[in-house]
Amino acid sequence: MQYISSSNFAKFLENLKNDYIVYIPVKKNDQYFYEKYIDFADDIVIGEVRAFEPLKSFFFRAREIVAENFKSDIPQKIQKPYCIVGVKACDLKGLQIQDYVFENHDYQDPFYIDMRKNNLIISADCTSTIDTCFCLALNVKPYPLENFDINLSVVGEDFVVEVGSQKGKILIEKYSSLFEEVKEEFISQRDKQRKKVIKRVEENIKQNDIPHQDSFKNIIERGYESNIWADEANNCVECGACNTICPTCHCFLLYDQKSENKMARLRIWDSCMIKDFAQVAGGANPRPELWMRLRNRFEKKFDFFPKVADIYACTGCGRCISACPAKIDIRKVLKRLVYDV
Amino acid sequence: MMYKIKNPYRPIRAEITEVISETPTIKTIRIVPEEPITFETGQFIELTIPGIGEAPFTPSSRPTMKDIMEITIMNVGKVTEKVHELKNGDIVGVRGPFGKGYPMDRFKGKEILVVGGGCGFAPIRSLMYELFDRSGEFKKLFFRGGCKTPQELLYRSEMDDWAKRKDLDIKLTVDKGDSEWKENVGVVTTILDGVEMDYESGIAIVCGPPIMMKFSTKKLIEMGFKEENIYLSMEKNMSCGIGKCGHCRIGTYYVCKDGPVFTYDKIKKFSNIWD
Repeated sequence: MQYISSSNFAKFLENLKNDYIVYIPVKKNDQYFYEKYIDFADDIVIGEVRAFEPLKSFFFRAREIVAENFKSDIPQKIQKPYCIVGVKACDLKGLQIQDYVFENHDYQDPFYIDMRKNNLIISADCTSTIDTCFCLALNVKPYPLENFDINLSVVGEDFVVEVGSQKGKILIEKYSSLFEEVKEEFISQRDKQRKKVIKRVEENIKQNDIPHQDSFKNIIERGYESNIWADEANNCVECGACNTICPTCHCFLLYDQKSENKMARLRIWDSCMIKDFAQVAGGANPRPELWMRLRNRFEKKFDFFPKVADIYACTGCGRCISACPAKIDIRKVLKRLVYDV
Repeated sequence: MMYKIKNPYRPIRAEITEVISETPTIKTIRIVPEEPITFETGQFIELTIPGIGEAPFTPSSRPTMKDIMEITIMNVGKVTEKVHELKNGDIVGVRGPFGKGYPMDRFKGKEILVVGGGCGFAPIRSLMYELFDRSGEFKKLFFRGGCKTPQELLYRSEMDDWAKRKDLDIKLTVDKGDSEWKENVGVVTTILDGVEMDYESGIAIVCGPPIMMKFSTKKLIEMGFKEENIYLSMEKNMSCGIGKCGHCRIGTYYVCKDGPVFTYDKIKKFSNIWD
């Protein structure tokens, strides 16, 4: 393991700017947003908690042109790959789901693969929690263990550095003068910090009585006909915020530009909570009622993904809880499914 | 910049060379794609109307015709409404083929009953030509087709030709006849009885509106067909065609890549498959 001072880390980022478009979390009021890195400004926050926006936005873009005028080339392309700094463990799990969908699911998606292939992920430990954090229930620790190139653990002003990939290793070797061997005391400081955050997430889980994913097996099948769905969907306004903010949601709409002399096809994020999501042209709709669509959302995350990919498509990031204007709470729905059916 | 992976969202340009009015609400378009598109019968394509959008259709033409494709389309939505305005020389786009069609190899040496309803005649037409081309491979071939009225019966003149074939036993029905209709009157399940084949080992293929597929499947099971021998062509909101956009999922399947043809045993446990 390595160690880097914050001033050297600023130099490191400066160098990365040559090969990457670097994004880093910046604190605004009580939220964190990825912003393009210019210099090591005071509002940059490497630790603390996940950013407001899900990590998928960088690779599976909210709106992009995917075909133009029958031409076989790809319409848009960024100049350099992304380097995303300060990614939290929950979002790394989200990326795992996106990777499964777009890279390994029988067919490959050239747009996602292109955005993803040369990127650099510099993740970071959570050093605090918000009250909607429940990652541990989904077997995600509040610090990254895999799927990163380099991980940072904030200790005081500086960082303990862990390498997670060959790409990360090469970079640290390339800029070896900026890094030093980590002292034992910083590792124990890191471990103490990690334990403290785990304890806080555990308190969240205990307070809200959130079941662990070990008890999720067959909850959808078991609760399929229960009245939980209608009950929970009662206040839903069909805004789709839970879908767009979710790091694992991947559904999209192919949408053609309304111009008859120019064929341009866009894809935009879509929401399975919207009424016409599964409706066919003749009008038939397998999920005409809102509660059916809420059930479907949970079925996708807690039944489909574990069956096809052996993973629950939830990261415990809690974004959907904060985003929902109707206060539909995924923790409560899971609790009811596990304990009340 | 070119990608190593083909862009799956890009339609191939195709020209309309013929538009045939089949019924007041159904037209067949014949298209010539710039690059030849080969498909297996039962697979589907996405048809783009530039500036409007795209929609999924199973071609109604013989799969062995490499350079042209025929698609039979009912006017029901925003894309199909525009399709009905198309004329010779107009440009459309085609993506695909997608999904899994009928597993012809599994039909070898079997007795086959094909049941079609209404607009479901379109994919069935493609399948029937494939079956005719391989005629010697199967023991017996039955076709039972139904639609609402004689005016809505698709491919009328082809049906007359089919009726003359020695390798096919064909029977048609309409829900409501007229003075010229000489054949059966009633829903399609009423002409399934008396099909002279061994139901236990036979293959049944059903394509039509959801309600027709639902009751035909029920009837076929009552007759003794095995669930794993009943082939259904599912109609869901297929969009991307490659199992990513999420719109056509039923249970653990995406209809676009795992279907659209499924045997009944694979999908019966999922809710709302007929809606």
